[in-house]
Amino acid sequence: MDKKANNPILEFFLAARVIMTKDLQVWLRQPVMLVATIAPALVLLLVEMLAAQAVGRSPVALVIQDGGLQGARMAQAIQDADVFRIQQVDANKAQTLLKNLDVVAVVTIPADFSQRLRAHQPAVVDVTVNNLNLDFTNDIRRAVPDAITRYYAAQGDQSPILIHMEEHDLRQHDIQMFQYAVLPVVLLVLTISGLISGGNATAREWESATVKELLLAPVPGGAIVAGKVLAGFLTSFALGGLVLMAAYGLGWIYPQGIYWLDALLVVGLTSLLGASLGVAIGAALQHIMPVIAVSVNLAFYLFFLAGGMGVLAFEPVWLQNIAAFLPLTYGNHALQMALFYNSADLLGRDVLVLGISSLVALVLGTLAVRRGMAK
Amino acid sequence: MVTQGFRYQFHVMWACACKDFRVALTDRLFTILGLFVPANVLILMSLFVLSGSQAPTAVVMQESGPYARAFYQAMSQAHSFRLQVSSPAQAEQLIAAGRIVAVVTIPADFDDRVKNSQPVQVRVEINNLNTDFTNDIRRAIPLSITSFYAKAFPNLVSVTVRETDLYPRDTDYLPYLSVSILVIALMMGGTLQAGTASAREWEKETIKELLLSPASRLAIMLGKMLGALLVGLGATVIVLVVLVLLLGVVPAHWLETAGATLLSLLIFNSLGTLLGTLIKRRMPVVALTMSLSLPLFFISGAFGPISFTTPLLQHIARLFPVYYQIVVMQHAFHNFNLNTLGLAGNLLVLCAFALGLILLVTWHSNIAT
Repeated sequence: MDKKANNPILEFFLAARVIMTKDLQVWLRQPVMLVATIAPALVLLLVEMLAAQAVGRSPVALVIQDGGLQGARMAQAIQDADVFRIQQVDANKAQTLLKNLDVVAVVTIPADFSQRLRAHQPAVVDVTVNNLNLDFTNDIRRAVPDAITRYYAAQGDQSPILIHMEEHDLRQHDIQMFQYAVLPVVLLVLTISGLISGGNATAREWESATVKELLLAPVPGGAIVAGKVLAGFLTSFALGGLVLMAAYGLGWIYPQGIYWLDALLVVGLTSLLGASLGVAIGAALQHIMPVIAVSVNLAFYLFFLAGGMGVLAFEPVWLQNIAAFLPLTYGNHALQMALFYNSADLLGRDVLVLGISSLVALVLGTLAVRRGMAK
Repeated sequence: MVTQGFRYQFHVMWACACKDFRVALTDRLFTILGLFVPANVLILMSLFVLSGSQAPTAVVMQESGPYARAFYQAMSQAHSFRLQVSSPAQAEQLIAAGRIVAVVTIPADFDDRVKNSQPVQVRVEINNLNTDFTNDIRRAIPLSITSFYAKAFPNLVSVTVRETDLYPRDTDYLPYLSVSILVIALMMGGTLQAGTASAREWEKETIKELLLSPASRLAIMLGKMLGALLVGLGATVIVLVVLVLLLGVVPAHWLETAGATLLSLLIFNSLGTLLGTLIKRRMPVVALTMSLSLPLFFISGAFGPISFTTPLLQHIARLFPVYYQIVVMQHAFHNFNLNTLGLAGNLLVLCAFALGLILLVTWHSNIAT
């Protein structure tokens, strides 16, 4: 007892641990909140996985009116292109499918296709496309010529096309779209969880007037902040770890050896950032409802602006410039490198940005709590 | 007597609506944030479509002859690239920094080889981050090659595409998607307002007074929904102003838009009231509403008719009103028919959802005591 009283560091950690334990117990008593934090991200992952199966493979009706050899070859090229979900039907059925929105387009190989090619005359492949949305329309506009290219490529040495693509990939392997979406979602879970649990735990003290007890307690203010940040950090880290383990179990990510540590470091720093910001917001607003509204808005802004829904390189330059100032951009990059490519490329930069951001958030949290207590 | 009873119920409804409206005004920060949530959603999700599917690509022109220029031209018309001509060093720097996703190098002897019918290799370096985007490039380069040949050597490459479009004009990503986003924004705004107003009664234990009063439960619940609708109208006006004035997406049928918006608000207000009475706490209601909207947005045909997606997603989407609301709203804005139910059929389904939710809310408030 005396030892504790005489040792300010031990006293600090003891107080922080007690506050952390209390906040964790309160958090565990709110299963709905737990579900509300993690369920959306998991549902989002599931939806993206299901939707990815349809992306880039539009449903198309194929009508073959030509019974000749070239018509059959063209049809085969369309089948082999693997960019359509094809239904081979007659012209009437195809029109019905198009009208009922069961297919995006009807591709027709006309009756005189082989004959015209034999006569060295231009031959067309007819495409009727439901152009209500440029996304699907452009897929078709790319895919049908792609099939024509395959048709010529299948002619081998006889092909008149002599220009070939020599592809060099920057990465060892391709990453599927839904896999790519996993990592920003992990960061979204970490941020929302950290912000809400940290903010909620802090604002609750003011809302339920228990802040008085904290103020009167003979413990340093820093220990109170540390305890609250630690509780938020632990809950977020555990959630992030669970999602990562699930993704690994499903074969969506492939970290090996030391790269697990890289990933956990990034998860830890992002959790710390979220929890510290949460404590800052909680102390500044002192009411749970505004804290939640601000936290969810902030988390979604960070998620979207850091390229959570796409590939940053595809975004306009001004958006890329904004993303360069957001810590989640670096977290996303570091996780991609560690979990997809077993690489530590720019890890130092990413960890430094996340570390500094977490530190700044921690200072903000401390200042906000002190200011709130001084009122 | 009947008239008097109806008048009384209406009075109860109006009183509940006014009370909730006033309470919303006292919780200023939350209400302001709530009002701007739909606009925030619209702006954020619109950012997602700004990029479209045009891959930022550097072209290193080591040859500047007519065939090389024609090949560049073919690439620019492939509906796939945002091209910029760069030096080899610049291109490497850009791809290493993640600013572009591909470098296409047209070799120095391109024209000579094409002219002499010799094989030519076009080097394509791809930042293969994500198969969706990478495959677009893998398809678009061969497409550019074929269309280059079709123009330069029509006698050699004689197979071409003849396209017929169902609509006179293409609809770009943003005008299409922003209408779907409007529905999700209305969902967030409407459910949030009604859900918190309803849960607040349980949290503050004022529900006791409401349930013990001689007023009918239906009138009380309808009043609460009306209050949320009044607040939600503010958010709706903001989001419509952003959509029409900022994004330039103007409805084809204004009356239909207004009707669909009101019906959407009614459904989401009912849903919010139901969530609030079921969960009885504002915090989980807010968290659930805000974060479940994103998955619902994805499955409900926000990007195109659900019939273009997988059967499982189609079945799931049909279980939620959001899907039918997107169909109706796309018709109101762009005159599109996204399913075979027709406008009347979709509206009927939505009215059934609204009625079902109102009955559920009333039933739940009845059994709450």
